[in-house]
Amino acid sequence: MAGFLIKRFLQAVFVVFVVTITVSFAIRLTGDPALMLTQGAGSVTEADLERIREALGLNQPFLVQYFQFIKGMFTLDFGRSFLGGTPVSGLLAQALPATLSLAFASMIVSIILSIPLGIKAAVAKGKWADQIIRILSLVGLSFPNFWLATMLVLLLSITFRLLPPSGMDNFASFIMPAATMGIILTATNVRLVRTAMLETLQSQYIMVARAKGLSENVVLYKHALRNCAIPLITYFGLQFGALLGGIVVIERVFNWPGLGTLAFDAVGGRDYPVLQAVITVLSLLIVGINLLVDIAYGLIDPRIRTE
Amino acid sequence: MIKKQGLRTAIMALAVAGGAFMASPAWAAGTMTISSPQDPGSWDPVDTFLVNWASVATNIYDGLTYRGPDTKLVPGLATSWETLDDGKRIRFKLREGVKFHDGEPFNAEAVKFTFDRLMGPEGSKGPQKSNYASIDHVEVIDDNTVDFHLKQPDPVLLTKLAGYGAMIVPPKYIAEHGEDYFNTHPVGTGPFKFVSYEPKVGIKLEKFDGFWGDKAKLDHLNYRFISEPSTAVAELQAGRVDLVIPPTIPIGMIPTIKGDPNLDVVTSPSPTVYALRFNTKNGITKDVKVRKALIYGVDRQAIIDSILGGEASPIASFQGKLSFGYDPSMKPLPYDPAKAKELLKEAGVQPGAPVQIDIRGNDATFNEVVQAVASYLQIVGINATIKPYETNVLLNDIIPKGKTGAMFQQSWGGWTLDFDNTAYFMYHTGEKWNPYDSDPKMDEMLESQRAITDRAKREEILRNIANYAADRALEMPLYNLNAIFGISKRVKNFTPAPDSRLRLNEVSVD
Repeated sequence: MAGFLIKRFLQAVFVVFVVTITVSFAIRLTGDPALMLTQGAGSVTEADLERIREALGLNQPFLVQYFQFIKGMFTLDFGRSFLGGTPVSGLLAQALPATLSLAFASMIVSIILSIPLGIKAAVAKGKWADQIIRILSLVGLSFPNFWLATMLVLLLSITFRLLPPSGMDNFASFIMPAATMGIILTATNVRLVRTAMLETLQSQYIMVARAKGLSENVVLYKHALRNCAIPLITYFGLQFGALLGGIVVIERVFNWPGLGTLAFDAVGGRDYPVLQAVITVLSLLIVGINLLVDIAYGLIDPRIRTE
Repeated sequence: MIKKQGLRTAIMALAVAGGAFMASPAWAAGTMTISSPQDPGSWDPVDTFLVNWASVATNIYDGLTYRGPDTKLVPGLATSWETLDDGKRIRFKLREGVKFHDGEPFNAEAVKFTFDRLMGPEGSKGPQKSNYASIDHVEVIDDNTVDFHLKQPDPVLLTKLAGYGAMIVPPKYIAEHGEDYFNTHPVGTGPFKFVSYEPKVGIKLEKFDGFWGDKAKLDHLNYRFISEPSTAVAELQAGRVDLVIPPTIPIGMIPTIKGDPNLDVVTSPSPTVYALRFNTKNGITKDVKVRKALIYGVDRQAIIDSILGGEASPIASFQGKLSFGYDPSMKPLPYDPAKAKELLKEAGVQPGAPVQIDIRGNDATFNEVVQAVASYLQIVGINATIKPYETNVLLNDIIPKGKTGAMFQQSWGGWTLDFDNTAYFMYHTGEKWNPYDSDPKMDEMLESQRAITDRAKREEILRNIANYAADRALEMPLYNLNAIFGISKRVKNFTPAPDSRLRLNEVSVD
């Protein structure tokens, strides 16, 4: 077991290393931040630019810059933003909770919607309700999320003035972004719940439960749901990673002060330290979740361990 | 059962949240909320060149001189000044009894500290220093008099002292709290003082009762950073934002705002002008006849009226009418496709000759403009292809290294509104924005105006430069774009600033 854990852990470290070095290297090919900062200035000489590069630490070789970044990471010092010199750790401390809380809220919306709908579709397999749910989920899958977001804003913020169109001020701010992400996720999740449920419903213990005269709700939600929970939880866990990626667009539409907004601005402004830090945090999160799932699998299923 | 419960919870949550939102008044008395597209990250004047720094910080800081929306230079923290030693020394008399927001007095020491800091190690880390390179040092004469000693005369310096890096900062406050703290807790002498700042979210200011000039009518001034135009406009429509400042609102959204009875659009000519510049070194555009033909061949007024919804003015040189050096007698070349064809024939250009136009890919409006330009060129027998680049690649690689096609986008304007600010770097031999041309006569004119402080003489030379550039058809001048502000009708007495340097002490809200 220890060998398996070490192997998986080393793999995860390797992935994070490859991701960070690729991103750090690639963004340095795309333009000089010193030129970005002085855009709009008239009289900029090469000496001025050199001065600024030195202040930003860009005059050092790439590998030196990269290893300084890695070294700083272990002390939670991600350097300073090129734009205004704000410490990056401070920006992350603000953005990470914003993104995570939105991601959790979206997951909750999706779970609340997809479980009852999926179960309904499974129970009514082949009937009207099933067809409607499946068509709706197909429609949901085909929505671009920014379109849905814009429509919600138009309806709920501008026409009815019920919810704030953007920002993260209070609970009301969460409703539209979480609903948008949640609805998109639900489209896939419903199908998943339906499939898992269909399999479970054919088991003999369900027949036994029904034979005992238990009510249909108890059979479905207590006996059946519990038994198909394991694959569902695994899947939702993995989905969380993908969700973090998809949230970038939604953050922009709703002006959410999260990692996506941070990354978006950093790319535009050639703010290397911020972009490196955001990508590292995102890859750590995704790799970390995958690692946990791997470990959980290994614990449950001895065959994976010995592979 | 769970399904029903879930639904009920959701409805309740929505009702509670909606109630919470409605309970907090969207419009608070005496408070104005502004949407700004970018967070500069630091409020220190030496750190940034971003226009959206100035649209906040002009409320916090003062310069020795002041230039408002009317673009007239008037006294700021200096009450008067005189130019001595052939323009190599400027003596300023300082305003007395002025206090910074933290209570420390403004005096000659503060001025010296500000410029020592800008020209010293702290300023060297940022982009502002290069703009004030003509300053050698500042000498304190007495508590209310300072002398600026210059390396060479700088005719634009008095204007530059009205903004950005020249904003006067408090010496004691910075010494006590340190540079890092100052970046995020700015203190100046302006009509509004700093309250709080949340990176990427917003900055809040409030009225400063000890302001030396006309005190602010608003009690609170809140800025929110919203980069997505449709989101900013949605906030405006929802009544949670009172003003959306440039560069946010694209031309296409103007009708949405105008269609809302509570909102309005106000515009002002901006410093930014758009042109397609020519490769004067290689290819068919080497010939001045061809360059003129291409200008004759494009109906620029039609582009302004249709694509830009009239929110731009035609130009004859690379400057708008607010610019110092603008010559009102210069008229844009008319649209004349017949003449264009004739000139092309004279120059021996075969019908169907290819021309490549390099543009910034992220500017949707300009993309449309260039497509129209390409269609017009097609009519006179030029086969134009458009090549969009990522903005930074175009600005930092393709143009400076002379790797463009026959034409390339230049959209630029300096907040100083002085033609020298752009002309020198576009027309002088060897400058970054001049990869192709080298003209001793042009160089001589550009250099000569830099040494003159006589405004009238300088203006004449700048006008000559503009005329000469047009004679040689160094670019296809397109238009001077307006700065577009979306505003709620509850805002009173707002004057749009052409350079987005907003000072809102006279503004009030219903």
